[in-house]
Amino acid sequence: MATRKAAVRKRVLWEGLPPLPPGDYTSIRVPLPPASAFRKDRPISDLIKAHLEHIHHAESARLPKEKRDGRRPEDIRTEAEAASYIATVTRILHPKGRKRSRRKAGS
Amino acid sequence: MPPGLDSLKHIVVLMMENRSFDHMLGSLKATNPSIDGVDGTFWNPDTMGNPVYEQPLAEFQSQLDPDPDHHFPAVDLQIFGGDQSATRVANMQGFVKSYYQQQEDLAHSQKIMYYFTEDKLPVLTSLATNFAVFNRWFASIPGPTICNRAFAHYGTSFGQVGMNVFYPQGKSIYERLQDAGHTAKLYYFDQASSTMEVVNLLQHQPELFGTYDQFLADCKSGKLSDYNFVEPNYTDHDNDDGEQIACDQHPDHNVQAGELFIAAVYNAIRGNAALWASTALLVVYDEHGGIFDHVPPPACSGDGHSAGPADTGLNYTFNFDRLGVRVPAVLISPWIPKGLIVPTDRVFEHASIPNTVTRHFMGSNTIGTMREQNSETFLDLLSLDTMRTDAVVFNT
Repeated sequence: MATRKAAVRKRVLWEGLPPLPPGDYTSIRVPLPPASAFRKDRPISDLIKAHLEHIHHAESARLPKEKRDGRRPEDIRTEAEAASYIATVTRILHPKGRKRSRRKAGS
Repeated sequence: MPPGLDSLKHIVVLMMENRSFDHMLGSLKATNPSIDGVDGTFWNPDTMGNPVYEQPLAEFQSQLDPDPDHHFPAVDLQIFGGDQSATRVANMQGFVKSYYQQQEDLAHSQKIMYYFTEDKLPVLTSLATNFAVFNRWFASIPGPTICNRAFAHYGTSFGQVGMNVFYPQGKSIYERLQDAGHTAKLYYFDQASSTMEVVNLLQHQPELFGTYDQFLADCKSGKLSDYNFVEPNYTDHDNDDGEQIACDQHPDHNVQAGELFIAAVYNAIRGNAALWASTALLVVYDEHGGIFDHVPPPACSGDGHSAGPADTGLNYTFNFDRLGVRVPAVLISPWIPKGLIVPTDRVFEHASIPNTVTRHFMGSNTIGTMREQNSETFLDLLSLDTMRTDAVVFNT
């Protein structure tokens, strides 16, 4: 399980360098964070609290009441909860930011 | 015009979160004394008056928890050591006192004086030593994220010193460039992380925005905009690809994840030979996050705004006439001499970003505030006559 999680993090955060022509290269190894570093239940920081306020402001400005998510920023406690709410509103504000699949057709 | 500037088609800014210069890059002084970092002699008094020295004990996570306070009043304490007098002088003596206030734990408050050794941050330190590292890049405001990031986007925070929603009364660097027939993009990590520029997204052009996946694709295809601003992931969350670890390095997020992200952004540019030859990448932090630095922020010219006591949380009006705490900043391009150290007599802040970008792509800057227009620009650092062929290569 931990290996799979690490692989996922590596795939998403890491785009390996394609082959380079011969040259004077200094190769530097970058360690991966441990699986235990991922804590989506971490309480949100002041930065994320402010971010939620901004997102909520945008939601209130853009959407009629009946179409709003309904969650209140002050009720959100963890990073996973915050991310879920932020994704909902961002999807409306910026639908082009929807994740594009990296899989090639047929794979 | 130097050939590096002549061929410069793209500027990319990656803005990370909440780490000070001494904390991240200060250890480089041991190998190069021209880098104004740590030498083990700087200290802060604790609340008992005992000296707490800077120490190479920083860890990747779980050390700066709770998140050190970096709102305006706390930063004022950190910079002035608690002196509220009219004749006070910035002395950087209040970091331990400030952190103590959060838990009233004497031992824990000392951790605010910890810094990373060079070997712990192979990405940031190797980019710093292989390209250009700034000895004097400061946050624009002695305060938190939103107002400081605003300076990178607008050259001003329109009088804000905090985290509140605000509507800009001037044009962002993205709109300026678009109006002049150039291209600009602001890439956020994914929809669950989104952008800290929500108001811009709300008010103006959604087409200005893209995701990190798009950034990678645009680098690969060579379709990067003239100006590009990249935001890291601000939260641990799941998306369709699985677990997404926060990579902004904001305490208490894992610093190694941020290292990996910086390396990935670098690799995306480095991997396209044409892009590499025509791009400058600036890696910079929005503010210090409450973590120690030994260099007092200098005074600066105001930007026409002021923030009263109700906004500063203190008994004085702030006229935007002093910079925030020093942050790490590294400029990367094959046209920069290896190991360039930008000297201490050149002072940069986040308004330097829109000023530099505006001048490079539009020839002059008559749009930004006077403070922005007078801020230092950094593209003269691309001074080589011949492009470097050596390279740093990151791998896992």
